[in-house]
Amino acid sequence: MSMPKPDPLAELPWPKPERPREEVSTAIRSACTKNLCPVQHMSAGMRLTLCIAASSIVAAAAFWFGIRNDRSELGLRMGVYGALGWAIVQAVVLFAAFGPRRGGMAARTLRLALAFAVPVLYVGYLTLSAWSFVPFNQFSHGARAGHAMSCALVALVLGAVVSGGVLLAWRGTDPATPRLSGALAGLVGGVGGALAVGIGCPSHEAWHLWVSHGLVVIALGAVGFAAGRRLLAP
Amino acid sequence: MPSYSASFLPALEVARLTLSRRPSLAESTSEQLMERYVDGEAESFELLYRRVSPNLMGYLLRLTRNRERAEDLLQITFSKIHRARGSYLRGAPVLPWILAIARRSFLDERRSAHVRTEDLSPDGSLPEQQHEERPLPTELSDALEIAIGRLPETYREAIVLTKITGLSVAEAATVLGATETAVKLRVHRGYNQLRKDLEQYSRTP
Repeated sequence: MSMPKPDPLAELPWPKPERPREEVSTAIRSACTKNLCPVQHMSAGMRLTLCIAASSIVAAAAFWFGIRNDRSELGLRMGVYGALGWAIVQAVVLFAAFGPRRGGMAARTLRLALAFAVPVLYVGYLTLSAWSFVPFNQFSHGARAGHAMSCALVALVLGAVVSGGVLLAWRGTDPATPRLSGALAGLVGGVGGALAVGIGCPSHEAWHLWVSHGLVVIALGAVGFAAGRRLLAP
Repeated sequence: MPSYSASFLPALEVARLTLSRRPSLAESTSEQLMERYVDGEAESFELLYRRVSPNLMGYLLRLTRNRERAEDLLQITFSKIHRARGSYLRGAPVLPWILAIARRSFLDERRSAHVRTEDLSPDGSLPEQQHEERPLPTELSDALEIAIGRLPETYREAIVLTKITGLSVAEAATVLGATETAVKLRVHRGYNQLRKDLEQYSRTP
């Protein structure tokens, strides 16, 4: 059995922690204890529940919209099954990204891997659920382009609602990696919005799914990345 | 001794037992002090401040290398902690959380201070840079402090957090928003550089 290697610099006279000047300490103490009252504290479980609730409400609204517009029963059913399956993925991502750990947040590597895996998996899922394919020049003109634009806008708005909910629920909780957490919040919201639109959307054409339902996820991930520093850092 | 389940005890007795199990302020961990501070206890803040401020000040001092800036950042950090105390996840280690807020404040301050003012000489030109002749350190502790100051920022932060502040590698990784492997690598490279600098010191007569 090998002995652990001794730390070569262990015996060095490392500097001792320093005390701030007394007037600085007095100013901090008075500012932080003046009119101190208990603050409402939301547990991590409650925050996670709120995020899932926001996503569920958006999906329910899209389902209601689909019924009102006489979408086919098969299409609605497939959309709901997809949304339920991805709700599990969303919950896993939220738990891994924001769930409480002894050291604060989950390992950065895991969260980085999730930030790359979620959009890739989602675009893969969209590719598998595409029933038809038209060349891009046909997709980018006429009624198809108009429908794609309206779908993308609705998905963006619904995704922004879910992402906003996640960002607000976890506001000020991540001082170390707020951009990464923001990107994950954006991705979760984007998936929520895109899936909700998928319930009510009659199109199963590949370009439509990639552009209107897939790009939204990536766009909201980027927005979350940009907004994370302001919203998630204390 | 017979064991009584809580359901058989009157509610007041349960409350009394719960309260008696709560540690006194002096016995409380930093995490418990932070929770009490969130619950509105000013005395627990006093004690928490006494425990964490030296470590925090030491970290900021070595980040900024300027006492006034470090004290300004200390005030900013505590005002942020005060405002964000509701978002503290109960049970999570306090010191890494506070150090991460301090680091974020330092980075924000540096980003906002990108416009630097420079006093021109009377003829309107930029003044020549003054090279301060530092006397050679006579004590090993002084030499070490100078060597730490010379380290690149990433290595310096990792060394200060693990050797001076006393965080574990995992906690330092949480503060820096890096992986544990990256922190170990930075500490190792920082050590190598420190060793080289200190060898030069030991060679001087």
